[in-house]
Amino acid sequence: MLSLAQAVLDGVMIGGVYAVISMGLTLVFGVMGIVNFAQAQFLMLGMFVAWFAWRFLGIDPLLGSFLAFGAIFALGWALQATLFRRVLAAPPVAQIFLTVGLIIVLENSALLLFGSEFRSVATPYQTASLRLGELFVNVPYLAAFLLSVVCGGLLWWFLDRSWFGRAMRATAQDPMAARLMGIDAARMHRLAFGLGVGLSAFGGAAILPYLTVYPTVGSQFSVLMFTVVVLGGLGSIAGAVVGGVAVGVIQSVSTLVFPIQLQNLVLFLLFIAVLALRPEGLMGGSR
Amino acid sequence: MQQVHAAAGASRRRLLTGTAGLVAAPFVIRSARAAEAVSIGVVMPLSGANAQFGINARNGVQFVADQINAAGGIKALGGAKIELVVADATSSPTNAASVAQRLITQNRVLAMIGAFASSLTIAISEITERRNLPLLTMSFSDEITGRGFKNIFQVVAKASVLGKAQLDLTMQLAQAAGQKLERIAIMYEDTAYGTSQSGGLRAAAKAAGVEVVMDEAYPLGITDVTPLINKLRGANAQAVFPVSYLNDSLQIIRAMRAQQIDIPTIGGAAGYVIPDFARGLGPAAEGVLSISPANYDLAPELTEPFRQRFGYFMVHEALENGVCLSVVAEALEKTGKADREALRDALRGHRFETGLAKAMTGGAVQFDATGLNTLSEPVMVQWRGDQLVTVAPGHLARAQAVWKR
Repeated sequence: MLSLAQAVLDGVMIGGVYAVISMGLTLVFGVMGIVNFAQAQFLMLGMFVAWFAWRFLGIDPLLGSFLAFGAIFALGWALQATLFRRVLAAPPVAQIFLTVGLIIVLENSALLLFGSEFRSVATPYQTASLRLGELFVNVPYLAAFLLSVVCGGLLWWFLDRSWFGRAMRATAQDPMAARLMGIDAARMHRLAFGLGVGLSAFGGAAILPYLTVYPTVGSQFSVLMFTVVVLGGLGSIAGAVVGGVAVGVIQSVSTLVFPIQLQNLVLFLLFIAVLALRPEGLMGGSR
Repeated sequence: MQQVHAAAGASRRRLLTGTAGLVAAPFVIRSARAAEAVSIGVVMPLSGANAQFGINARNGVQFVADQINAAGGIKALGGAKIELVVADATSSPTNAASVAQRLITQNRVLAMIGAFASSLTIAISEITERRNLPLLTMSFSDEITGRGFKNIFQVVAKASVLGKAQLDLTMQLAQAAGQKLERIAIMYEDTAYGTSQSGGLRAAAKAAGVEVVMDEAYPLGITDVTPLINKLRGANAQAVFPVSYLNDSLQIIRAMRAQQIDIPTIGGAAGYVIPDFARGLGPAAEGVLSISPANYDLAPELTEPFRQRFGYFMVHEALENGVCLSVVAEALEKTGKADREALRDALRGHRFETGLAKAMTGGAVQFDATGLNTLSEPVMVQWRGDQLVTVAPGHLARAQAVWKR
């Protein structure tokens, strides 16, 4: 019972992070209809921004995550303005080529610029934990989770309450009608893409205190991100939250019964089952 | 010096220009040289999950090559210089094999050194065996010299021997501190290296009557070790034996300390014996033990120049890969001709005790019929600040082990 409670707690904490890194993917799809296969590479870039901020400016990665968000938001904005803009109306194959090509470009640029070694930050709280009775709450995980909650809350507020957010949703629903109402759709797309990749970068930086960063770290997350998003319903922000927490908890709880090696097998079996029974995802259609 | 750098640059350029850079660069170098240099292929994972180790390994080989060249090259070949052709195996066996193939056909290397990770080395050895080209390695897996190949040479003890030593030396340390080990935990990465080394550990535990209360494999590139450490907490073990590379070793120690688990931790080399381990963990690294096939403090006079040049201590993979080249050079002095089959025959049976080979445990290198270095004996090392100190076995120990129950 105790180990179940611990596993659920750990799963929720890691799931919160999965939710934030996946929100970007779902946001980009929701607003622009593009599946960004290179999403996880922006997470890697965010980790690098935070690592460099820590190494050379002495900024803790948790604060650095805001820096990572800003830097990668700007990069996303620029990429949308130059590259992605051109494939918005193109056939899906062109979009796939662009995003998959971007994986190769980003990973290899990181390899050339930063080298291939693992980089790790040493924070004062890296081995800290809190006790909740018999339960352990790992501080780096908790910090990443809380940051994810804050970030998710801000995103919700932005999309639901702010003028920009409403304009963005309007663009997603009907670009033509939005344009007629005086919304600059191209600008909304830049904003959405910047936000989307910025969120993944933010999540990447938030998990840096307990992980290491290297140019191919993104590939460890890309399949997970897609699972989260498809599980929750592609294009649904609430779905990313539900999917993220579900993936985190499934991964964590499955290890109570099965070997850790089978962690992802259990996840994907459940994933396939969900798709078979509910192809639109857990929260699909409720967007 | 110059050609080494050009070749190293080639593997990097390959990222931009595809294979053209790699193929062209050594070709240019060769035509620029008058004397016939001896080409040695160095295939290492310079990108991907094991890149850090590959870079260390390459530095070790480069270190020895420069020493040999500075001392006048291979004298028996008229002072021929050693020319390294460095190639990136990435961290995937398929790439490793095709890179090795290319080094043989296009760069005409005389011997090959590689490729740190056992799974990569095994892939390469399939190629070198077919081409009758000597392959020297410091990969641990038993499979390397366990297949009856004629062209493979393993300069370190096998993984199963390392695994056994990991347990046996730990038992000795515990006993010296007045503790009898009865329950241990094993966790390992499910790669060729992790699997065979944990196999050795398991067998040794069984032989010693020690109960393995946790025995868990996990995938390479794991991003969340919490479930692993939760299991460890529930297992109530007296000591834990993690066999992992760097990314996971940092996560494991961090998560253990966060859950206030401070039972003795005895790593399985790889991620536990490189400077980045202490750099990433800071005080949390202090006192962590690890098995290692060799350690720099056993021959400070030979390894200190490495630290001065590269800025970090001569990690074991740098040392052993350097030894591979040192052994090749001595064998070439013996045969006096640049022929791969003569080289292979010279490697087998001879006792190599010049150059860096002296830094190995046993003070020399000697290969048996399977290609295994029979003189190599694993050592137990312990972190003290940012240094690794040999603490067992007794006749090699440089300091007393600290054993916390």
